[in-house]
Amino acid sequence: MVKPSSQIWTPEAIEDVHEKAELGRYRIRGFSSFQKVPHFDDLVFLSTGLTRFPLEGYKEKCNTKVVIGHRYASQPLELATPIYITGMSYGALSQTAKNALARASSMVGVATCTGDGGMLPSERKNADKLIYQVLPSRYGSSPADLMQSDAIEIVVGQGAKPGTGGLLMGVKVLGDVAEMRDLPSGIDQRSPTRHPDWLGPDDLSIKIEELREATEGRVPIHVKLPACRVVDDVKLAAKAGADAIVIDSMLAGTGASADIMLDQSGIPTIAAIPLARKALSELGLDGEVSLIASGGIRNGADVAKALALGADAVAIGLAALIALNCNKEIPEANYEQEIGVPAGYCRHCHTGKCPVGITTQDPDLEQRLDFEQAANRVANFINATSMELALITRSLGKGDVRSLEPEDLVALTMEASAMAQIPLAGSNKVY
Amino acid sequence: MVDIDASQMTTRDINLRLKSNSFSNNGITVKNSQGRHNLGVGLSSNTEIKFEGNVGYFCGGLSSQCQIVIQGNAGWAVGDNLMSGSIAVEGNAGASAGSTMRGGSLFVRGNSGARTGISMKGGHLVVGGDSGFMTGFMMQKGRIVVCGNVGEAVGDSMYEGEIFVGGTIGSLGSDAIVQDASEDELIEVWEMLAKEGIAERPKFKKIVSAKKLYHFDSLERLEKNVI
Repeated sequence: MVKPSSQIWTPEAIEDVHEKAELGRYRIRGFSSFQKVPHFDDLVFLSTGLTRFPLEGYKEKCNTKVVIGHRYASQPLELATPIYITGMSYGALSQTAKNALARASSMVGVATCTGDGGMLPSERKNADKLIYQVLPSRYGSSPADLMQSDAIEIVVGQGAKPGTGGLLMGVKVLGDVAEMRDLPSGIDQRSPTRHPDWLGPDDLSIKIEELREATEGRVPIHVKLPACRVVDDVKLAAKAGADAIVIDSMLAGTGASADIMLDQSGIPTIAAIPLARKALSELGLDGEVSLIASGGIRNGADVAKALALGADAVAIGLAALIALNCNKEIPEANYEQEIGVPAGYCRHCHTGKCPVGITTQDPDLEQRLDFEQAANRVANFINATSMELALITRSLGKGDVRSLEPEDLVALTMEASAMAQIPLAGSNKVY
Repeated sequence: MVDIDASQMTTRDINLRLKSNSFSNNGITVKNSQGRHNLGVGLSSNTEIKFEGNVGYFCGGLSSQCQIVIQGNAGWAVGDNLMSGSIAVEGNAGASAGSTMRGGSLFVRGNSGARTGISMKGGHLVVGGDSGFMTGFMMQKGRIVVCGNVGEAVGDSMYEGEIFVGGTIGSLGSDAIVQDASEDELIEVWEMLAKEGIAERPKFKKIVSAKKLYHFDSLERLEKNVI
């Protein structure tokens, strides 16, 4: 008799040991966490009945516009809908992908973000609103680019791999990617995780002031944190002078990370947002410091739930790449032959062999991504997501997405209730 | 030369004045800098600027083209992300001097703290005295010259570039090795020192990357199929 697999020694766990026994190092992959954790699907909305009147779902005006980073910046970031495209580097992504994301963000009135490796002139040209990341590596870091940005984001860490730096395999560190980063061509780039010029929150506050001096206080300064010790980290970042805080959960994506970090570090998005909101409330900074949530945002319901839990906006990464065509069967690609897995199962961003031309520096593969069509798809996706967000907001009887609140939600599981601090459906109890 | 009194101005006003370029021909002296942070940040014009007294963190950071002289000590990260131009510190510098600088030159006449030249991507950094631990950490390009001693883990994980040390080496960092400097290289370095008014000609040791950390040395089965 063949017995079912062990709870501990699953086929995946056995395969992992086999692979590492051959490899002699940690495994690397892209995409996001495969952990089964409570997520937005474990929360549902309490739409209207007799106690609340709905707005007409398809007609009545519902404001989606938000302003981010108005605490100190003279020109805060205005978003037509509370969604922007997160930092993904030129290098991790092809130039066509970066430009398409930039164009899409302009088409729908939101922002995009540079990522590690510097600002592409074409990205700046295509993006009406461009956030400039300041990362530990400072690859491609240029004061001239910084000064033409619309916001600055100091990256303390990424949710996909907290406490570790960026990874870019040598197959992608070629040509102008290597040149922009001042790196030898073809090396496996392992970026630093600590910033070179500041260490703790006291230094961070001076660094923030430096960036403000350089930009004459014009643009907001965001601090991006991996969702780990959320309450303390958010308080420290806020006290250091951040205009906005990005809380990036364990469900956030990446182009390359040690597999072990993707699944074993950080906390889920629905747990992180209420903790971050609590931290800001305890400091009396609600309405002053903006809160941006990222990690696993897939649709308008996820955005609405993130806002209801306390975020002012969300950042999307993987969803934007999927809208570009990630994991889609297209006529030019043969996933099985080129990657060894069918479409829908590709997590091979780090190999540079992206069958749809997004996470590659191979010009032949990049040609598979048509700039105009790609930009249109991402713009359509963000528009659709925004419409879903507005639809849900109206169904709750509200005419402004900024009015979404925890009271609009119930949890479907005790775990989600405990993490999100939302009552379990059918009870008034928060577990 | 125009004088401004920092004690009577906000940091923003000082920096706006330095950016205004209204004194471009004769330069400007900032009196009473009093250890203020973020002085001379984000400058981009060919101007001579002198700070009388100590300066705090990030002095001359994110700048290009200008020639800055600090007549005192400098706090952390003096000249961070410098693109071009020059900065001279007549006293000592704190940690992370010249961090991520991509061009230009930084001269510290006295000692420099930990992580001097960290993630440096170009340009020249000269320390007249000693420098602290992790000097040249993850350095990518450029040249660091330390006339005195360096602390632990010098050149740790450096990619390219070179570190010349006149005194003792606390220890080498991961993947850093000592190479013999050629006579031509020594002459070049001595000339750099002479420009800064240092007449001594130490017999420098040269530290470079062994380049053994450039690549992961194995691929997964799936990666072998596609890379």
